[in-house]
Amino acid sequence: MITIAIGKGRIQETALPLLARAGICLNDDAVNSRRLALMDQTGQYRFIFVKPADVPVYVEHGIADCGIVGRDVLLESEADVLLPLDLGISRCRIVVAAADREVMTKVQGMIRVATKYAQIARAHFGSRGIPVEIIQLSGSVELAPALGLADVIVDLVETGITLKENGLTVVEEIGESTGRLVVNRASYQLKTDEVGRLVRALELVV
Amino acid sequence: MIPAGMRYYIGAEARRRRTVEDVAMSVFEAWNYEEVITPSVDYYDLFEQGMGRREAQRGFRFTDNDGRLLALRPDVTSSVARMAATLLAERPRPLRFCYAAPVFRQQTQSHAEWRRENTQLGCELIGVGGKPADLEVLRLAAEILLRLNLQSRYCITINNVEIFNGLAAHLNLNATAREQLRRLIDTRESAELQRFLHNYDSDEAHTFSQPTQLTGKGEVIRAARRALTNARSLAALDSLEELWTEIEALGLANSFEIDLGDVSSLDYYTGLSLKIFVHGAGTSIGRGGRYDGLTGSFGCAEPAVGFVLNLDALTEVLGRNTGQDR
Repeated sequence: MITIAIGKGRIQETALPLLARAGICLNDDAVNSRRLALMDQTGQYRFIFVKPADVPVYVEHGIADCGIVGRDVLLESEADVLLPLDLGISRCRIVVAAADREVMTKVQGMIRVATKYAQIARAHFGSRGIPVEIIQLSGSVELAPALGLADVIVDLVETGITLKENGLTVVEEIGESTGRLVVNRASYQLKTDEVGRLVRALELVV
Repeated sequence: MIPAGMRYYIGAEARRRRTVEDVAMSVFEAWNYEEVITPSVDYYDLFEQGMGRREAQRGFRFTDNDGRLLALRPDVTSSVARMAATLLAERPRPLRFCYAAPVFRQQTQSHAEWRRENTQLGCELIGVGGKPADLEVLRLAAEILLRLNLQSRYCITINNVEIFNGLAAHLNLNATAREQLRRLIDTRESAELQRFLHNYDSDEAHTFSQPTQLTGKGEVIRAARRALTNARSLAALDSLEELWTEIEALGLANSFEIDLGDVSSLDYYTGLSLKIFVHGAGTSIGRGGRYDGLTGSFGCAEPAVGFVLNLDALTEVLGRNTGQDR
């Protein structure tokens, strides 16, 4: 048996249908109940549902053998896990957005960046030698420029509607994020056959 | 207050830790490995030479009275290599040394490795190269794990770093591209790897873009042989296959696995590389390999091979397996 950690919310909604297509089915009633650990119908897989940011933690410690989580969360966590498969689900962009399109050239000295993704933002600006002050927020990041807390934001964008509603436009694209299958390093060696079977089953449906 | 990554062992747990150490040291002794105790504090330069800058920088550093940089030892191998090349330069070869010693690292590689003090149970076989020496340390590691009643609960992965080095040389990669390729193989990012390799018009690179074909038994070598053409990789593949044949002949194939994707410490190892995994531990609990380049940096180049087991991780996993602690 292997344990798979799944990020609750957006990832879970797209991951479960994908798993079902790969022949790994969960009982709908069980999913809708508030239980946090479930077996699939064959009894080969145990699923745990946790906050997305906690998926890399469970997998890195080997409590979960595998996980399904967005690349954005992985980049932010800097977790030491294997990434054998891009599942192509929950596709979105990680961008720098601002009210003023020219902000990057206008601001002299220090740029203030509000974000939930402090590591990604630090790495992005740091690698190009742009000095920034990172302001870590935990939600509603789009408000920060309008209220004067920050010059720009670094955030995930799916449709761009939220940005638009808050008067922001994309200034730079940092990267793309999709749902990933991640695997614990020890599980990959100790449960080679089971993990290999899961990877191959999912490979056929992505 | 207690600093992060430090801990106590009390009573039953301390006894179990002592037992694990005694088992390992008795196996080393039975194989004629001489115990060595190296200085806890040494010049930082030693570790930078021995481990490479990136690893050595993880050590706790401070200054000596004369201003020279010191470090609390982040590994033992560097010191043993210097000893072999200087103090024991005249001693007949091979040299066999073992140790049980704490090492200190400020930053760990993985969030799951929270300890900053780890006791390494290790051995070094210096002055002989080739298959017999490689096989000797692999058998030693397997015997210790067997004596700890971990039979069928552990897996030792083996690789030869020259397979990757040959490929990187064949593709004529610069340092940045080489590191990118190494990272993609290390994390098995198959899609990115295929995109990366698309720029290099080489069929043999595609060997590495099928992550599930990198790990397994003898079939891994046969699959790689079909794809690789450069002489350097093929020679390494040959020696890995010879080693695998011996492992099979010893009846150890169930506990060993070939992992061509183990490219985590390329700067350090020159041939065989190995990692040790045990059920119940989320990270590897031991590693090792051949480091023929190391003693050369202390003035006397000769072949060397060794491995370390992490005593603290082993104690924890054995405690969890037997349920004695909770």
